[in-house]
Amino acid sequence: MKDNTNILTIITWVVLLSAISVLLNDMREFDFNQFKEFQNWAISADKNEPWFTSKNAIQWSYYAISAGLFFWRGYLIYGFSYFLSILKEIENGNYFSENNIKYFKKIGNIFIQYTISVLILRFLLAAIEESTFNFFNELKAEFTFLIPAGLAFYILAEIFKRGKQAEEDNELTI
Amino acid sequence: MPIVVHLDVMLTKRKMKSKELAEIIGITTANLSILKSGKAKAIRFSTLEAICEALDCQPADILEYIEDDKN
Repeated sequence: MKDNTNILTIITWVVLLSAISVLLNDMREFDFNQFKEFQNWAISADKNEPWFTSKNAIQWSYYAISAGLFFWRGYLIYGFSYFLSILKEIENGNYFSENNIKYFKKIGNIFIQYTISVLILRFLLAAIEESTFNFFNELKAEFTFLIPAGLAFYILAEIFKRGKQAEEDNELTI
Repeated sequence: MPIVVHLDVMLTKRKMKSKELAEIIGITTANLSILKSGKAKAIRFSTLEAICEALDCQPADILEYIEDDKN
């Protein structure tokens, strides 16, 4: 079991580090200079001018949403890091611990929050770019598998809760 | 819990120490203490059998059902 845990820990670290490096690379490649115009506009803007209808403000929204997408990807990676905590608990022999139940719920929450937030942000991005947004196509996109995965983690949390209770009962059976 | 364990009484009657009984029936003193204090959630038939054999008594001498006061 310990060998399996070690292998899983190594795999999780590889996945985590790869995801972090991909995210950092995407952030580096993201062209922040495209907002130079907006920065100049922000300095010289007429305060009476309604900001929401301004083209520059729309550009700012695009910028904010893109930053939001990066944030949520980082949050998803943070969710993955809980796998390491679960593996640590298993390594210590605490299979049905309160911590594991908590971590499963947190991973479930993060997966579902990520999917819903990214869907909303992509919808807003499509609205700003005035392109068509097909909700069902977005749902078919590869990232939406995280919703069933999130639900599976909720189910695992419930199973582990029952397992913890059974373990306690077993310990108190003389 | 309405099941009361009278292990202490039987141990006194047989002039036996808890540690001694634990050794005879093959459980830890910690587990025997859980059983004596009534914190145990269940007792195996094999444990009950071993206790009855060691103390030369019947299960009813050790366990008693006392109805909970519902008021």
